[in-house]
Amino acid sequence: MAANERANEEVHEQEVWSWGAGTEGQLGTGYPQDHHLPQLLPSLSYATTEPISFLSCGGAHTIALTPGGRVLTWGRSTSGQLGHGDMVNSLNPKRVDALQSFVITHVSAGWNHSGFVSDTGRLFTCGDGSFGQLGHGDYSSRCSPVNVLYFSSRHVEQIACGMRHSLALLKGNVEDHVYGFGSGKRGQLGTSRDRIQSISLPQITLGLEDNKIASISANGDHSAALSADGHLYIWGRGFGSTTDVYCPHRASASLTFTQAALGWNHALLLTGDGTVFMLGGNHHGGLSNPQKTILVKHTAEQSNEALVGRIPNLDGIKVLQVAAGAEHSALVTGKVIFKNGVIMTWGWGEHGQLGLGNSDDQTSPQVVSLGQRPSKECTMYNVYCGSGFTFVTRTI
Amino acid sequence: MSYDDVEIEDMEWNNELQAFTYPCPCGDLFQITKDELKLGEEIARCPSCSLYITVIYNMEEISGESDHKSKKSIEPSKQQPVAVA
Repeated sequence: MAANERANEEVHEQEVWSWGAGTEGQLGTGYPQDHHLPQLLPSLSYATTEPISFLSCGGAHTIALTPGGRVLTWGRSTSGQLGHGDMVNSLNPKRVDALQSFVITHVSAGWNHSGFVSDTGRLFTCGDGSFGQLGHGDYSSRCSPVNVLYFSSRHVEQIACGMRHSLALLKGNVEDHVYGFGSGKRGQLGTSRDRIQSISLPQITLGLEDNKIASISANGDHSAALSADGHLYIWGRGFGSTTDVYCPHRASASLTFTQAALGWNHALLLTGDGTVFMLGGNHHGGLSNPQKTILVKHTAEQSNEALVGRIPNLDGIKVLQVAAGAEHSALVTGKVIFKNGVIMTWGWGEHGQLGLGNSDDQTSPQVVSLGQRPSKECTMYNVYCGSGFTFVTRTI
Repeated sequence: MSYDDVEIEDMEWNNELQAFTYPCPCGDLFQITKDELKLGEEIARCPSCSLYITVIYNMEEISGESDHKSKKSIEPSKQQPVAVA
């Protein structure tokens, strides 16, 4: 096929699906109720002038980003985390008007707060600020996105919002490029080697100075940073029975990773060859049967290093993307013999967050059915997890 | 099995619910009232799912200091929307 013919096909058809806990409107279905099976969201699918390029799902709200840099939010807004200027839940996707004059390039939804980064490097936050997680130097909540002035002379590239803390990644080859703010009680800010309570202004995360950081993530009381050469650093609440880590610590000395997804008690790590590993996770949902994980021999740098286990039932299947909810997990596979990639989920299922049509827990990845399979060959999936819910975008 | 052990100082006072709360992984909140604490209850339940947490607290502090402690973490009420800078 000629290159220009391919270009003509750029008019993508997109479907957005959601399932799981939905009583705050976080599924975007228009109704405040749970769904145990994937629901197609007509308002975000097919005829949209702009598709969804990225989603971030928090405690009970969702932020959608379009390729043109527009932002839509929906779900719970008890602390103003939707950024609509009020504290009213939204059952349907609604544009964040306060950000209309900016081109937003990165977003993150935390438990009850939100972060937005513009193409000019400005960081905006809104929602719950009671732990200083908005970074404005106080402990107030905001119901419209407010520019974080601390970074006014710097260029912010990414934001990651956890339960009660936030991380910001600055652009460029500056030495101090990861900052933390909010609750630091479990070490999740990495800004001090001692136990701290909360800070309301960004502070430098220690121990990452010599690394070029490519991405950051936060969920629960955990934090992680992935370096450009695939080294994963984690800090914050310990996984499994390990103690809290106050300074970024390399997760595995022998493995390098391309993606990391954090839950509240587990982390999913993806390697360049498409293999998924898990840290922690024997808690509630992750994988409740520890015997089923194949433990990887690793050189323990610290005696309290959490075990890294390989996910079962994936033998030979290349994984393209991983996502973690509070207590459930999801992944996108590559093509499996004559079939397009599939979505798989496992972990805690009480609210239907696994999308398997019931509320059962699963100890190993199960295939989620998204209704009729598209006839076209090239289908691209992306999966995103909120605390108790899941979103998938299918681009054809 | 208790989902987690949480110290009372890590819970937030929610005026609307009149209860101490802590995030539940389902998206809702684990809740326990002052009266329950005074009676020695140590389980905070989530109204939306089967999970519960064990609250760690000192009985004397609850009867004596609870009013003082709760002030710090009271969330803004709906009647008084927070100012937007």
